[in-house]
Amino acid sequence: MRPWPDRRDGERWVNFCRSFALAADYYERLNLRPLPLSALLASFNFRSNTTVSEFEKGNFRFFPRSLGQILQHAGTRELHLRFSLGRWDAESWGARPWNGAREGGTGVELWAWLEADTDEEADHKWLILTNALSGLFCASLNFIDGTRTTRPVMSFQPQGDHSTVTNMHLLYGVLPHEVVCTENLTPFLKLLPCKGKAGIASLLDGHKLFDASWQTMAIDVRPICSPGQECVLQIEQTIDMVLDIDRSKRPRDNPIPRSPPADQLPCDTSKPYHSHDACFPADHTANQDWSLSQIFGKPMRGTCPLTDSSIPPVCLHVPDSRDVFVSEGVHEKKNSDQVCRCYEIPPSADFEMALPKPDDSADPTTTAIVNPETPLLYAERSFTGHGQERGGVQTILRNPSPDTDVEFVYMETLPWFMRIYLHTLEARVAGGSRTNNSTTKLIQQVYYRPAVDRARGTQLEVRMRVPPASTVFLTYDFEKSILRYTEYPPDANRGFDVAAAVITVINPLQRSNTEEGEDGTAAGGSGSSGRVAAYTLRTTSLLCSLPTPDFSMPYNVIIFTSTAIALAFGGVFNILVRRFVAADEGPEAGLAIVLERVKGKLAGLVKKGVSM
Amino acid sequence: MDGAKVTPGRTAGLYAGAAVLRLAICTLLPQLPDLLTGRVEISTPVTSFKRLQEGLFLYNHNVSPYDGGVYHQAPLFLPLFSLLPDFSSLPIFTYLLYIAADLLSARALWRIVDSGEAGSSALFTSPRREKRWSGFTIAALFLFNPFTVATCLGRSTSVFTTCAILHAIAKAVSGAPFGAMVALSFASYLSMYPLLLLPPLVLLSYDRQRPERATKSALKFAATCVFVVAGVLAVLFQMSYLVTGSWEFLPSTYGVQLTLSDLTPNVGLWWYFFVEMFDSFRSFFLAVFWLHLASYVGGLTIRIRRQPLVVLTLLLGIFGIFKPYPSISDTSLFLALVPLYRHVFPLMRYTFVIAAVILYATFLGPAFYHLWIYAGSGNANFFYAITLVWGLGQSLLVCDLMFAVLRDEWEVERPEMVGKEIRQI
Repeated sequence: MRPWPDRRDGERWVNFCRSFALAADYYERLNLRPLPLSALLASFNFRSNTTVSEFEKGNFRFFPRSLGQILQHAGTRELHLRFSLGRWDAESWGARPWNGAREGGTGVELWAWLEADTDEEADHKWLILTNALSGLFCASLNFIDGTRTTRPVMSFQPQGDHSTVTNMHLLYGVLPHEVVCTENLTPFLKLLPCKGKAGIASLLDGHKLFDASWQTMAIDVRPICSPGQECVLQIEQTIDMVLDIDRSKRPRDNPIPRSPPADQLPCDTSKPYHSHDACFPADHTANQDWSLSQIFGKPMRGTCPLTDSSIPPVCLHVPDSRDVFVSEGVHEKKNSDQVCRCYEIPPSADFEMALPKPDDSADPTTTAIVNPETPLLYAERSFTGHGQERGGVQTILRNPSPDTDVEFVYMETLPWFMRIYLHTLEARVAGGSRTNNSTTKLIQQVYYRPAVDRARGTQLEVRMRVPPASTVFLTYDFEKSILRYTEYPPDANRGFDVAAAVITVINPLQRSNTEEGEDGTAAGGSGSSGRVAAYTLRTTSLLCSLPTPDFSMPYNVIIFTSTAIALAFGGVFNILVRRFVAADEGPEAGLAIVLERVKGKLAGLVKKGVSM
Repeated sequence: MDGAKVTPGRTAGLYAGAAVLRLAICTLLPQLPDLLTGRVEISTPVTSFKRLQEGLFLYNHNVSPYDGGVYHQAPLFLPLFSLLPDFSSLPIFTYLLYIAADLLSARALWRIVDSGEAGSSALFTSPRREKRWSGFTIAALFLFNPFTVATCLGRSTSVFTTCAILHAIAKAVSGAPFGAMVALSFASYLSMYPLLLLPPLVLLSYDRQRPERATKSALKFAATCVFVVAGVLAVLFQMSYLVTGSWEFLPSTYGVQLTLSDLTPNVGLWWYFFVEMFDSFRSFFLAVFWLHLASYVGGLTIRIRRQPLVVLTLLLGIFGIFKPYPSISDTSLFLALVPLYRHVFPLMRYTFVIAAVILYATFLGPAFYHLWIYAGSGNANFFYAITLVWGLGQSLLVCDLMFAVLRDEWEVERPEMVGKEIRQI
């Protein structure tokens, strides 16, 4: 367990594994990092730069024109788009890649800084942006309407340099129900200069990507200024995926999933009860042999000729003690930290890499993989209560650090039909007592914008602090509302997806600044990075089941209710307008009279007939 | 029935008994009030105590409670409840406030009974008026009615509306038209629908004016009353504006009742109808439902001109069925006034059916709601069906009471018809 300042040690070294200079026009990098439990994190990063003046003239070069024109048309200064699927298992995989900066909650997430003078203008531009991106990425981004759009106050900070622009509006929209799939990957790859034909992008394949345990595709566009140089507009495309090695290898040698024979089961022989008929499944760390073509289904096809050939495109994070076999002509560069090596690849040859089984003689946990870092914070969110009337949300936040506390902003964007009761918001340390005192001690600031029916979702941002080595429960109650029957989706009883909560851990160095009274408006004022969060994480999304009406009933309900009303109204009207008489008074009425009349008529007819 | 002399001791005993019962339930069963607060039969979106707490919390933290979809109640509740000690630490004060409101309602009801208006109004005296229950009995029936107790424990804010309406009637029968109009303005301010009670209440006040300062011209009297109501409402709205700082409370309180944007289930007929309604007809049927609700006022006021208190009672019964967000609190108010007509009970035709239907709906309603929401073994139609039965049972009671009252009037003209078969033409 390392507290976070150690992380910055890397800056002192000459390090191949770090991302490279901003100056390069195009850069791509694949980082492979085996994780515990036979998982492999593959992290693809593509970055193109164009100077702002060229961009404004319409010379896009490596910057994708389709996206660039949308950004220009919608007055977007900075854009972040995420397509995500699955769950990052922090307990076994440790800290998230990029410290969580390149990931989104399940579904699609979009946030952007738009240049606009008024809120209405910003809304209008946001509408243009979401509709255009919806077409570009084949995603339902056009469903990000007023009920799904929020304006975060504390959670997001611009990453680019916006010192010249003052009238920026941050808008944030999320579609938790969106299923990310191949049709989103194809336009994503089209934005790349090498289009997935060469270089690391040739490894990306929808079958593998969307079969991953966790995957996130990110697009970040931001202006970056370095002193003495012209500002550049940078687009960074990132794909992170955690592949299950066993699962990825399966189709090749065992297309039909079936259990292996008993004698081939990987058993943990150290267990005292291990015998020929009792097997405790071994930790998968031993099962770390794989090759690139096994995992991705094909080898990598050369390098993208647009990259700087001096920058190795593939890096592998395993201890130096492990053997790695690569194809001919590939040059391996080991990093000085002994846990990372990079490969320089000839431009037009296929690149293949294979990791054999690690040496069994040594302790497998220390040599086979690099131990993952401990994240700054663990978070889990779930529903409490039962029934379709009301419920509660409980988030368990755990600070693993033994000596430093963690300060973060917890942001929820909830749909309007979850009516939350803010007066029930409560934070308490696990094991502590339920008192108001604990809530006020842990929660430092709350920003709340209540939902308006059918117009706006709830926005809740809570700045809070978790003491060292402790677990905090954050809970609140909500009520589920019943909707008009046309407002339910076709699969109404499946429930409604609730977007992931976004947790932004505040950088402790900047924490002191904010406490001195600097408000969030000074974003991007100094330096190129603005106020960067130390760590970002998202909880899983939730599925909220609402009470449903009977969808087959509209006519019946209209008829029944109208009948009830007619009965009451008729009864009252009848009594009000009719006169009372004794039972034997007044004109005859009823069936007897009618019969009498009919008889008379008939008799008349018969008489006529006879006389004729 | 209750011929015994009502001593001050018995009166105090009744009120103390009612208060002790409520306090005992809150202290011995501390979970029960929260359970009742969550019941849809007691708390509607416009009266729920939990929503009031949320509004109060937002108000105290400088967030406008009307800029959200939760709080739809009158703005003046906010400063009122802010004055009370915090509910989570000292709930007793809130309970005491609600109990006091209930006792004040009972007191007003008692005064209505004592005035004898139910049996003999200015224009009509029932031959059966001797057969009546005392104020003590009727107040006791109100205070110990399970619906009233449940509403009080559930801390629904309709308790205050009930109190205001009963006070308006009590003021009117005791010859204080100004007080009646002020009380009615308060009731209308809190819940809007009591404004429809204005015509019969004006008539009642007109009939019961004190002879020494009576206004002869009915038109002038009505104009004054309307003016007073408008004035008091204007003052209340202005105060609300000062409290909340904007006019956005109007669409959020009264607008919600007019447009039914919150479709939370309740015992009324509106919610499921508008859940299932086709979007293009929504506004049309909203208008129809409101017109239907308002249409009773004119007809009843004109037809039963001689007994305005009857009109008020029947209207309250009708509102308890057909208003947008009814609850058992509205029924309890209606049931509080029904025993005033003890003298016409023998003329009612369906007492057994009515009692059976109301009991049936009372017991089956919560069960069916549970089946739908919690057990999942029933669907929304179960609860909807029971609200239909509940509505029909109550409308049967309204119709039957109206029939009995009109027959009572008719028998004054035709004394020989007492006990005979009659029919309507």
